[in-house]
Amino acid sequence: MAGVSTPPPMDEKAKRTRDLLASFYNNTTNSNSGAPSSPSASSNLTPRAASSLDSINSPSFDASSYMSLLVEKSNLEGLLQKHVQMAAEIKNLDTDLQMLVYENYNKFISATDTIKRMKSNILGMETNMEQLLAKITSVQSKSDSVNTSLFEKREHIEKLHRSRNLLRKVQFIYDLPSRLNKCIKAEAYADAVRFFTGAKPIFEAYGDSSFQECKRASEEAINTVIQNLQGKLYSDSEPIEARAEAVVLLKQLNFPVDNLKTSLLEKLEDCLLKLEDESKDVSVGEISKTFRAYLIIFPDSEQRLIELAQGLFSRRYDAVRDQLKKRMLSVDLLELLGIIWEDVTTIDQVLPEAALPAFSLESTCSSIRQHISIAFSHLQHGISDAVTGSQSKSNESRDELDLQIVLENSKKAAMQGSLDLLAELRQFFDEKLELLLKLRELITDWVQEGFQEFFQNLEKHFILLSGSITNNGPLGESSHSDVLTQSPDKLPTGLVLVLSQLAVFIEQSVIPKITEEIAASFSGGGVRAYEYGPAFIPGEICRLFRSAGEKLLHLYINMKTRKISVVLKKRFTTPNWIKHKEPREVHMFVDILLQELEGVKIEVKQILPCGVIKRHRNSDSVGSGSTNSSRSHPNAMREDKLTRSNTQRARSQFLESHLAKLFEQKMEIFTKVEYTQESVISTVIKLCLKSLQEFVRLQTLNRSGYQQIQLDMEFLKAPLKQLVDDDDAAIDFLLKEVNNAAHERCQDPIPLETPILDKLISAKLVKNKDLSASPL
Amino acid sequence: MQGASTGIVYGGLKYQARCIADVRADPDHTSFLAGTLSLKEENEVHLIRLSPSGNEILCEGLFYHQNEIWDLKSCPYDSRILSTVYTSGEAYGASVWKIPEISSQSNSPQLDQLVSLDEHTAKIKSVLWWPLGKHDKLVTIDERNIFVWSIDSSNKIAKVISQESVGMLHNLSGGAWDPHDRNAVAAICDSSLQCWDLRTMKNANAIEHAHIRDVDYNPKKQHILATAEDEFGIRLWDLRMPKIPLKELPGHLHWTWAVRHNPDYDGLILSAGTDSTVNLWQVSVGSEDSAIDSPRDRRSRQIDPLLNSYTDYEDSIYGIAWSSQDPSVFASLSYDGRVVVESVKPYIQRK
Repeated sequence: MAGVSTPPPMDEKAKRTRDLLASFYNNTTNSNSGAPSSPSASSNLTPRAASSLDSINSPSFDASSYMSLLVEKSNLEGLLQKHVQMAAEIKNLDTDLQMLVYENYNKFISATDTIKRMKSNILGMETNMEQLLAKITSVQSKSDSVNTSLFEKREHIEKLHRSRNLLRKVQFIYDLPSRLNKCIKAEAYADAVRFFTGAKPIFEAYGDSSFQECKRASEEAINTVIQNLQGKLYSDSEPIEARAEAVVLLKQLNFPVDNLKTSLLEKLEDCLLKLEDESKDVSVGEISKTFRAYLIIFPDSEQRLIELAQGLFSRRYDAVRDQLKKRMLSVDLLELLGIIWEDVTTIDQVLPEAALPAFSLESTCSSIRQHISIAFSHLQHGISDAVTGSQSKSNESRDELDLQIVLENSKKAAMQGSLDLLAELRQFFDEKLELLLKLRELITDWVQEGFQEFFQNLEKHFILLSGSITNNGPLGESSHSDVLTQSPDKLPTGLVLVLSQLAVFIEQSVIPKITEEIAASFSGGGVRAYEYGPAFIPGEICRLFRSAGEKLLHLYINMKTRKISVVLKKRFTTPNWIKHKEPREVHMFVDILLQELEGVKIEVKQILPCGVIKRHRNSDSVGSGSTNSSRSHPNAMREDKLTRSNTQRARSQFLESHLAKLFEQKMEIFTKVEYTQESVISTVIKLCLKSLQEFVRLQTLNRSGYQQIQLDMEFLKAPLKQLVDDDDAAIDFLLKEVNNAAHERCQDPIPLETPILDKLISAKLVKNKDLSASPL
Repeated sequence: MQGASTGIVYGGLKYQARCIADVRADPDHTSFLAGTLSLKEENEVHLIRLSPSGNEILCEGLFYHQNEIWDLKSCPYDSRILSTVYTSGEAYGASVWKIPEISSQSNSPQLDQLVSLDEHTAKIKSVLWWPLGKHDKLVTIDERNIFVWSIDSSNKIAKVISQESVGMLHNLSGGAWDPHDRNAVAAICDSSLQCWDLRTMKNANAIEHAHIRDVDYNPKKQHILATAEDEFGIRLWDLRMPKIPLKELPGHLHWTWAVRHNPDYDGLILSAGTDSTVNLWQVSVGSEDSAIDSPRDRRSRQIDPLLNSYTDYEDSIYGIAWSSQDPSVFASLSYDGRVVVESVKPYIQRK
């Protein structure tokens, strides 16, 4: 009810102003500014803003301001109430104060009592203390007198005791020899050594004078002890502990143990050497036992033992490598490696510090690697022997027959050899040797690498054998100098074809097969860094061999045409074509040409497959338009007989040939060579005819020369077509081209009459028949 | 690789032809001289010029030449002087000619014969000018001899300075004059390439066992030359190491007839063959040593050196010539008398 009456008559405007001010000063306390009873809010505006009605307990309490505030804020009833409340509080406080004063006074009284009691107690103590001091002094003086009276006797006793000890020691030393002997008898060497070492200082001090005899005797005894100990050490039958003890004792006796050790180790080394010589004389088990014994006996000999063990195994691996230089079977190698590995593990148990497994792993790696590379090089030799070796055996006359056999042999050598090698190498995986399991990936890589390199080398070898890179090839092939010594020219051209076909065979059959096999059993690997990819890249090898095959095939064709080209060159450069005599017969170079081509055919027939009979690419079109396909020279020739002006005739002829060419499709003479009999033969023939044409173009002929060429070409027509089953059109075309060339280069191109031509040709045919009949 | 027919064709030659030569001394135009080879006719020498727009070939002059031309060279310092080697039946000869003023309206004027080089006793094979500029000497090669002539074109005098026979056993068939050394001439022999020193007239050096058809010195690098051969296609040689070729290129399907270095772009080689193709090669020879190369280099080396094969020809090609005025242009002449001028720009830019 007070709350309702308390607010002074404050109009709305004043209230708003106060609110605005409050919000301006951002005072947090005026959250209740809007409340009607908030005297503090207005007091906030006064300088003593902190003082309020609640600050009565604070140290900064100001009674007068409090009073005025109270009077100001409260109505009468409130003031009365406050008064009553305050009076009660004051009373309470008063009683509390009285209580506190009383309690403190009580404590003070009891404290005074206690102090009074203490004072009385202390008064009696002083006399007691004086009595005590006097008694203690008397006790001390008595004890001093006793001590002095006993001093002399005690000293005497001590002296007696010392001499007795000395005597006992002397007695011990005199007894020492016999005691030692007793010990020797009982084989209690340890006691003996202990006694002796005990007496040793005395011997050293007085050995020369008083105990001479005694020292000698005991040294004798100890010598026997030493001998016995040595004997014990050397005897393998003694238990190791005893031997070790012997060493310790010997060491205590200042015996030069190191000499012993070295002599023993030398013995061991001899023993190890013996092990290599006659392998089964000493077993590795024994050796490992010895190793262990020595390790215990001579703890400091480890280094030497490690050296010995490593030496032993490195010698053994060297021996393996020596054996590897000869081609050995994987099984044998595996067996050898297995034996060594077993030994290694045995010794490793004794001597783990020697790191023998790591060493042997390394050595095994290198031996296997060597083995693989040797295997591959043998394979390569095998293949090249298959190609060349049989050649040396076959004499010239049988050479032709042999080509096929050579091809078959070398194919077999390549395929079977590779497969055998693979099968052999696969044994590395069959073996359940722990060592090899670790190496599995490495071996995979090596085998793949091996194949990669093998094929690359093989390809190089092929090219080299073929002699296409002569010894002055662009890159100095120094690595193959050994092969170069056997002149590449010696390789007959037929074998080039064999090589070519072999390359194709390798590309098409061997490599896929090998890839398959490798995928089956040598996949994985990948120890090599990834950026190099797998070691064996069949694609690359295939490409290599494909190009090699083509290269060799072209080389073959090239070699053949070159040979023929020499014949042609001689034919066309030697005679004086301008003064050629009238043709009487077909020139004999034709025979040589045909003979060469026949030779090609025989070689090709043996090696290359028969191609699908296929017309020449252009033959169809040429055939269909055969009326205008042939060059128009026949017309021109006919025109020759007409008496036109020279210039006009030739010009028209030239134009006509141009025109004819426009109508005629360009004859593809240089088509891609395929691996077929027909393709190769026809390519050779085409190249020869083209050369013929070029040779003719370089000459200037008279009429007879032209006629001679016309005759020769006419004669060639039939046998060439016979040689080439398809591609007649190309042959026709080229023969005609030769004729045209001759015609162009002739000063007076009048062809032979057909009857004369026929007559001469048939005469030649008859002659040839006679010739071929007579040797039979 | 088969280039479509990009070349500009000139069909003005009416007879078979073997020889085409760049007119080096013409600084303003891309000009070539082509000579025909016809037994029966008056042969012609055509002076042809690539139009400034570069898409047309114009015949600037047509001159009668009585005998069939087997070799034709343009004088490297005077665009109006040329040399030819010709035969007529069994007769043969070589001359230096001057192109007459074209002002005369005559359709096919005669060439003015400056000098006739007629000291030869065997069939003349080729006339060589020193390729890089003015030099008062001329070399001619016949089957048995090499002649060095002193030429005075203004006074129309030619004198033999020296002459040397190679003997009956050899058959010379052509040669090239070293642009780096005025005293060195490479002569093609039966089975070798002989390098002659013109001062001593001695055979100084030789590449043996090579059946060479054509030889061309590298105009940029001394001692390097290219040969066109029957057996090996194209081979590049360093004359200081005549035993081993630097490079081998496969050449052509049939004979490789001619080989020419580009006068400007190093390693760009043009070859022509009787298989009716012209091949453009890119090879690098020299500084980089082929002995030390990593597999990666080897792979990059396997880039096909054949940049392009121009196959749009009807007959064997015996004549090719780079233009020295615009080194990206070459002219080729096939036996049927067609001159084709091609630009190799698309293939150079790729580099």
